[in-house]
Amino acid sequence: MTRLFAGLTHFQALAFFALVVSATFAFLSKRGAMERAKYFAWALLAFLLVAIGIGWLMYPFSR
Amino acid sequence: MSEAVKNERGTGSLALGILAAAAGWAVPGLGHLLLRQWGKAAVYFLCVGGLACAGLAMRGGVFGGNPSDMFDRLGFFADLGTGGFYFLAHTIQNAGPDIAHASGDYGTRMFATAGMLNFLTVLEAYEIGRGRRT
Repeated sequence: MTRLFAGLTHFQALAFFALVVSATFAFLSKRGAMERAKYFAWALLAFLLVAIGIGWLMYPFSR
Repeated sequence: MSEAVKNERGTGSLALGILAAAAGWAVPGLGHLLLRQWGKAAVYFLCVGGLACAGLAMRGGVFGGNPSDMFDRLGFFADLGTGGFYFLAHTIQNAGPDIAHASGDYGTRMFATAGMLNFLTVLEAYEIGRGRRT
């Protein structure tokens, strides 16, 4: 397990984090499979897009 | 008015709320399992447990019980939320933390996030146990 997770790229780690947190929030805040699925998809997408967006914004300062 | 409150699933009580919350803190999802919410119990155990184990596998740091500043205190509080995983952290990852690398830093955040998520599930288990929520 250590080998599996320690070898993750930054994006893979972010995607795993987003997946798990989105699923938990969907079950905490919504009822019904359809509502949860929609919330999960939106939250996951938002996590990924915002993280990638912030990454792009910070890119000029990385050099 | 009676302490017990009716909900769709039956009667809630303060004792059941506290029991569910304590169980849910010790083992993520166990509180919901006691309340017969099988699906939520499985999802919470897999998500919180998965995030905590991933954090430890990435050799994230676990805050100890003698914090030196406010950030350490907050980190300790967040980590403590993982319940059993906090006390088993050194058994699960006996190589110790390695926060010199990015993965170790991510692991620290993942473990703390698992704790905070578990606090939310504990609050939900308490509310369901009290009969205020289904």
